[in-house]
Amino acid sequence: MAARRDARYAFDGLPLGPVDPGTSVIVTGPVLDGARELGLRLLRCDVGDCGVVIITTDSGAATTMEDFERYGGTFDRDRVGVVDCAQDGREPAADCVSAVGTPADLTGIGIEYSGHYERLYAAGYERVRTGILTATPLLVYSEDVRPVYRFLNTVTGRIDTAGGVGVCVVDPKAHDEQVVESLVQCFDGRVHVRSGDEGLELRVDGLPDQPTDWTAVDPSA
Amino acid sequence: MTNDSPTVLCADPDDASRAATVDSLASAGLAVREAASVSDLESTLDDGVDCVVTAFEFGDGDGFDAVDAVRAANPDCVCVLFTDREPSDLPRGAPEQVVEYVPKPADGSRDRLASVVATAAAETRHAAYPLPDGEAERLAAVRQYDVASLSAAETFDRLTALIASHFDIDVAFVGLVDEHEERFIACEGANWRTLAREDSICTHTILTDELVVVEDVREDPRFAAVDALDELDIRSYAGARVTDDAGNALGAVCCTDGEPRRYSRAELDDLRRFADEVEEQLRLRRQLAGAP
Repeated sequence: MAARRDARYAFDGLPLGPVDPGTSVIVTGPVLDGARELGLRLLRCDVGDCGVVIITTDSGAATTMEDFERYGGTFDRDRVGVVDCAQDGREPAADCVSAVGTPADLTGIGIEYSGHYERLYAAGYERVRTGILTATPLLVYSEDVRPVYRFLNTVTGRIDTAGGVGVCVVDPKAHDEQVVESLVQCFDGRVHVRSGDEGLELRVDGLPDQPTDWTAVDPSA
Repeated sequence: MTNDSPTVLCADPDDASRAATVDSLASAGLAVREAASVSDLESTLDDGVDCVVTAFEFGDGDGFDAVDAVRAANPDCVCVLFTDREPSDLPRGAPEQVVEYVPKPADGSRDRLASVVATAAAETRHAAYPLPDGEAERLAAVRQYDVASLSAAETFDRLTALIASHFDIDVAFVGLVDEHEERFIACEGANWRTLAREDSICTHTILTDELVVVEDVREDPRFAAVDALDELDIRSYAGARVTDDAGNALGAVCCTDGEPRRYSRAELDDLRRFADEVEEQLRLRRQLAGAP
């Protein structure tokens, strides 16, 4: 069933309330122990009119799409676009995947991202979820953090004006705390993730009607 | 954005194509300027332009040369590459040339371009720094503080002289953070007038109600690559945010030095008191000037 363009975005199976179109969040936590999984689960959309664009920087496109499907996403080539900055030699041959040689090429990543967004829009997908998985290589490969701010402001600006939803994953332990705090400022809200005794847990800052205390994530949902 | 109707500069060497784009953007309610070359664009640009829509091929350069010219004149300006070339066919630019991209359709339609540009020009900025929440309200608040008309300059000159002496530092200043740059309204120990926001540490100070201390700029990944700080001999920094009654961040009261430096808790408390004094002076003088 098609969702209205101005309808809020829901996150089925996650203990999160819906968010307004145009919302971007940063997901902070250990990438291999929950944050990447949660980022991919936030990109799931079960309604048929929703597109997905993923900028993958730390795993190749094939690996990322396998992970996306493992966490409940559907790799439908007509409504998915992938910007692959971390080619691992097993990229799927598909028009929906474009390669950028290095995470340092923020200009190339931005243009390929916009190109996918426009391709999906032209195909009728007006509701698009964007994922940046993860921001760590963008920061590591950039000698200067200022172009990364510009890149994130440009991507979140596109998400805001197009009425999409955005998710950017970063491991705070991989970076200076002040850098992470300044990145957070580029987003509407922050989803903290940790691996607790009972499994994955999350809490949210900066967005209304979301859990502010640590809340368990149902792994089977 | 300071105008109700955003201003867009359309750069395209093809007269017919440029005219079609200009018509489409104007129909979307935008104020439109034109340029037929990169050099035209350079001479037409100013900080009143909210967005540049550029073709990729020019007689005197390419789209990335156009973006370079935009960043030099108006660093936060939204740039949109509008071309019939596929993303993969475009040469890669430098990291600071991050742009929006809208493909030029074969049927010549500009509807999608106009839609993207109208919202991007009005609502976004390609800033190379984090923006505070409520930036539009904050900028409106800053515009209320014309320090010359408030006759506050001499007071702030005395305060910054006192701060520099108290902390035994090279430079003390009071800066207001405008849309594109920080404006130093008092500066003891240097003759600074403005600094681009992407180069200014105060850009980060206005994000938080906590004091910001950078003991060694060269060791802080946010600032180590900022040449302007090196050129101004800013090796260490401490700053306290200044706000108005509504909580809008106007700017900061700051200490800088040419050597790495630590600040004790007592020193930071003193810096906060100096910033409180600046806030109070601004508030009282606005009231004296008859502001609501």
